[in-house]
Amino acid sequence: MMYVVFIMSVLYVVGFIGFSSKPSPVYGGMSLVVSGGLGCGIVTSSGGSFLGLVVFLVYLGGMMVVFGYTIAMATEEYPETWGSNVVVLSAFLVGLLMEVFMVMWLFSGEHELVGFYFSGLEGLMVLGEGGFEYVREDYSGGASLYSYGFWFLAMAGWMLFVSIFIAIEVTRKRY
Amino acid sequence: MNPLALSLILTTLLAGTLITMMSSHWLTAWMGLEMNMLTMIPILMKTTNPRSTEAATKYFMTQAMASMMLMMALTINLMYSGQWSITKMTNPVASNMALMALMTKLGSAPFHFWVPEVTQGVELTPGMILLTWQKLAPLSLLYQMATYTNTNLIYLSGLLSILIGGWGGLNQTQLRKILAYSSISHMGWMLIILPFNPTLTLLNLTIYIMLTLSIFMILTNTFTTSMSSLTLMWNKTPAMTIMLMTTLLSLGGLPPLSGFMPKWLMIHELTKNNSIIMPLTMAIMALLNMYFYMRLIYYSSLTILPSTNNMKMTWRFTNTKHTMTLPTLITLSNMLLPLTPMISMLE
Repeated sequence: MMYVVFIMSVLYVVGFIGFSSKPSPVYGGMSLVVSGGLGCGIVTSSGGSFLGLVVFLVYLGGMMVVFGYTIAMATEEYPETWGSNVVVLSAFLVGLLMEVFMVMWLFSGEHELVGFYFSGLEGLMVLGEGGFEYVREDYSGGASLYSYGFWFLAMAGWMLFVSIFIAIEVTRKRY
Repeated sequence: MNPLALSLILTTLLAGTLITMMSSHWLTAWMGLEMNMLTMIPILMKTTNPRSTEAATKYFMTQAMASMMLMMALTINLMYSGQWSITKMTNPVASNMALMALMTKLGSAPFHFWVPEVTQGVELTPGMILLTWQKLAPLSLLYQMATYTNTNLIYLSGLLSILIGGWGGLNQTQLRKILAYSSISHMGWMLIILPFNPTLTLLNLTIYIMLTLSIFMILTNTFTTSMSSLTLMWNKTPAMTIMLMTTLLSLGGLPPLSGFMPKWLMIHELTKNNSIIMPLTMAIMALLNMYFYMRLIYYSSLTILPSTNNMKMTWRFTNTKHTMTLPTLITLSNMLLPLTPMISMLE
């Protein structure tokens, strides 16, 4: 079971390769959904069940849905998939090959890597050992965004507000 | 752009840089950099041609990649040291990755490729904001975290920036690209002195910003963007032509103008630290910069190209462009050298 996070992170990277090889956004969006779900799984397995489900809800259930609808409006007759173009296929295969090499290199020796331990989850959990304290870290982190970190929330809200203006300015009709 | 949207976007641009400069926590610093990047995009896209769209896209791509690398460096630092302070990035992987990310944001070699293309693709005013205001936030972060970075990387990038800034600008006739390569070169000077005396980095930044603002404002006032338009500037505003000459000489680092002050103090500081070859190389490579500034001066002030007689006497229209801060900036960018002992106030 301790390999589950590792497998999820490998598939996460494969999902990223899937849309980085630039198929049509229809297929890229699907790959992003897969990666997002796996990322949510990684966060949940590391003890942050609340934040993982928030990712699922807001990212996949909110932003990806809107993304999917806007792509459906802008779709083309022959969308480019991973097998339709040799460039896309080779980019995907090269990325996949790099990931396979990296996994093989990880298993080849006892390297002291960037926070990568198989002895449990304590290497991957930054917030501390054990999850059975009086206050769960992910819940208290989400709550402190509204108490101690309200300026973070204010800035995040302000940037979301400004990004609407930016998006409208950028997509204005250019003659 | 709608004035309300423009004021909102400019306010957020200011706020982003100020948040980064005022922060001691890496997350707020990164947040300020992202605010900067996002709000810079509509400013770069103010004109409606595809060239500015392409420039804004290139800017967004490189800066987003740099922000991603910075975020990775922050989380690696958090994983190894458990704290978010900017000044104590003790893990070498994290500090080198953050250094490379900040160098990409500044546009210093070997991550400089976006600077000439983005500066050329936009108008003069967004280019001015790009080359002056956008340097403040990454340099303030670099100033704080430089003590734990690998100095070899800083020297390599600085020397490469001076080389590329000098050689790259030699074959250019477009003024915005020339100023972009000048920016790359000055970033190189600022980076090299950072491990020795960070105060001189700030001094160089201040004087570079004054000089670049002066030159951009002179160019904006006379609508010149290429060297061929420079040759007609003597006709329209002879005073500004002379001021352009002195400001360009100052940008090249010629005494007794202010641009000499940072170069002199930096070479002094480097030689005090028993480093002879590097300041020699830097000073010689700064001559390449001086060559193409001299070419601009030659074509704008020192030569009048052959033209018909009726072009020699133009009707003087009233100037509709704002020249509010230009006299102050030109005075500051030419005559600050006697005030050199005042750099102790930057400490």
